[in-house]
Amino acid sequence: MVPLLDRRLLIVSGKGGVGKSSISAALALLSARAGNRTLVCEVNADARIGHLLGGPEVGAQISLLEERLWAVNVRPEEAMREYALMILKLESIYKAVFENRFVRYFLRFIPSLQELVMLGKILYHLEEKLPDGEPRFDKVIVDAPATGHVVPFLSVAKVIMDTVPAGRLSREASAMRAVLEDGKLTAAVLVSLPEEMPVNETIELGTALEQQVQISPQAVVLNAFTAERFTAADLEALRLKPSLLELAQGHALLAKLSADFREQLERELKLPVLTVSRLYQGRFGRASIEAIADQLGSMLEAR
Amino acid sequence: MKPATRAAGSRQADQPLVEAARRRDVLICVGSGGVGKTTVAASIALRAAVDGKSALVCTIDPARRLANSLGLSQLGNAETRIAAEKLIAAGLPPGAPLFAMMLDIKQTWDEFIERHAPPNRREQILSSRFYRSLSTTLAGSQEYIAMEKLWQLRAHRDYGLIVLDTPPTAHALDFLDAPNRVLDFFDNEASRWLLAPALTAGKLGLQLFNWGGSYIAKTISKLTGTETLQELASFMLAISGMNESFRQRARQVRALLAAERTAFVLVVSPNLEGLDEVTHFHTLLQQNHMAVAAVVVNRVQLPPRPTDWSAAAALEPMLRDKVEATLRERHATAAQDEEAIAEIRSHCQPTPLIQVPRFSLDVHDLAGLWRTSRFLFGDDQRGHTEMD
Repeated sequence: MVPLLDRRLLIVSGKGGVGKSSISAALALLSARAGNRTLVCEVNADARIGHLLGGPEVGAQISLLEERLWAVNVRPEEAMREYALMILKLESIYKAVFENRFVRYFLRFIPSLQELVMLGKILYHLEEKLPDGEPRFDKVIVDAPATGHVVPFLSVAKVIMDTVPAGRLSREASAMRAVLEDGKLTAAVLVSLPEEMPVNETIELGTALEQQVQISPQAVVLNAFTAERFTAADLEALRLKPSLLELAQGHALLAKLSADFREQLERELKLPVLTVSRLYQGRFGRASIEAIADQLGSMLEAR
Repeated sequence: MKPATRAAGSRQADQPLVEAARRRDVLICVGSGGVGKTTVAASIALRAAVDGKSALVCTIDPARRLANSLGLSQLGNAETRIAAEKLIAAGLPPGAPLFAMMLDIKQTWDEFIERHAPPNRREQILSSRFYRSLSTTLAGSQEYIAMEKLWQLRAHRDYGLIVLDTPPTAHALDFLDAPNRVLDFFDNEASRWLLAPALTAGKLGLQLFNWGGSYIAKTISKLTGTETLQELASFMLAISGMNESFRQRARQVRALLAAERTAFVLVVSPNLEGLDEVTHFHTLLQQNHMAVAAVVVNRVQLPPRPTDWSAAAALEPMLRDKVEATLRERHATAAQDEEAIAEIRSHCQPTPLIQVPRFSLDVHDLAGLWRTSRFLFGDDQRGHTEMD
């Protein structure tokens, strides 16, 4: 059993198109079912999680999807505004400065600033308290940017600390970094597919997270996995039925690729690989996410 | 592989890609990541070369697979000719040379700066953090530089056909809007407004904080720190001399995309999740008066044959169960694909739609590219012809 759900912050990433959002949604569903107040965050994406969980599209406001399960789409404009207001205190100053179109243009090109405010918002919700002193959310699950963008996203705190002189910003960055690097609090989950490019990118990402961001990935989720079905004897028995043989060989090939890539991921990343079977049930939606959650649930220790 | 069917006979005259490969000299493959754009681009170029029109496929796909499928160990930022012997050995004697290259985004940007920046400012630009953000993460910058390279190749080389495989686009708009966004970066009133005092002083490396003392600059620097602001100001000052040459190039690139002899090939997967994106892309191309030669639906799952079910029923029970389970899965996938194709077709009218079936093996060699091209060019149609 893989103890993923004992962390408070789960960061889910992988190559675009591997099913990050589906896996994030399934993990969120599991977490909420296990009794945790759970927030799932999309990061500046075409909002999908609301639909995947059978609800409306989720915007920049935190919205309750079902019991104990909230979602939000973290976007740079709104996060910047929230952050600026926190520092500047006065709405009128914010408006005078940040709604100036020249300033807006200017801010867009400052590297790391967008990442900083988005990551800052996510970590703010992780620490947020209810009036009674209890955390507002027990778990925060981040449907993080795809490989290529996720390392810059997560290393922003480090970058800021390296480039900005001591002051408010660097104090915040330092606090953010402490949360991300705390292995008891935070874990990364890498999502992959049994195909060459996604697997290579997953391996690169796992290494980069560990070396550049000091976040240890705890598991790989290998999506669209095909388990072996046909034995060599089966294929031999189909020898005289070319059409069925082609069908069985096609399946056997997928199964072999699935097994080989699982083995490669385990060997090179030294991480547990959780497999989620390929689904054959039409348009992705609530039913698909529940099916994925059931599969993952049997492999995870729910806390 | 059947070279006999190679000649573009009259039977194919109404085939959209036969027509496009003959009449156009630039084909741009667009679509989201993972749909097989690179394979489609390489198949079109291979086919053109075999049919007697010299062709270059320019990809950005870092997968070594394309290089391998063309019989090369790797592809670089330079155009590489595919040896005729390799094509002949695969039963595909080329009628004209075939070339391939892999676009290195960073290197192409650097070359662009080296060509256009004033010599005394190159180093400062290339080493700036803001330049790195421009050349790597700014939305549309990869797309833009790919188009810029295309313009270069068109202007300075004489390939009969260039097939450009574009970066996987997160948002369709990034692609068409790329010249504008990048222009925006180089030439913006904001930089003039913010930099006016420094520009008047006309000195690079000047302590820019005559404006740094302003109320607005002070407020921004509470968020960013003053050093970041100062660095950005220096960078803008350094690139401010490039505006005019950049504007001119962006206009030329734009004109090339809409030119009579340029067409787009929209490559899509047969699934409903991506439908909005496909429709949006198609609409944008049309609104911008850019020709779409075809929508290619790649990796379409064919349904099992009716005889498969009866053949399965005759198997011994254990094997029968396995085969039937696999047939059911294939049937479900095929039905989903069919539904998606109908939707794509109705949303992309009147652009012709071409289907390429899912092959049981991934396309990984010249034979695979050729097989793909037979569907793209209408020698084989959706159905079981190829596998029977």
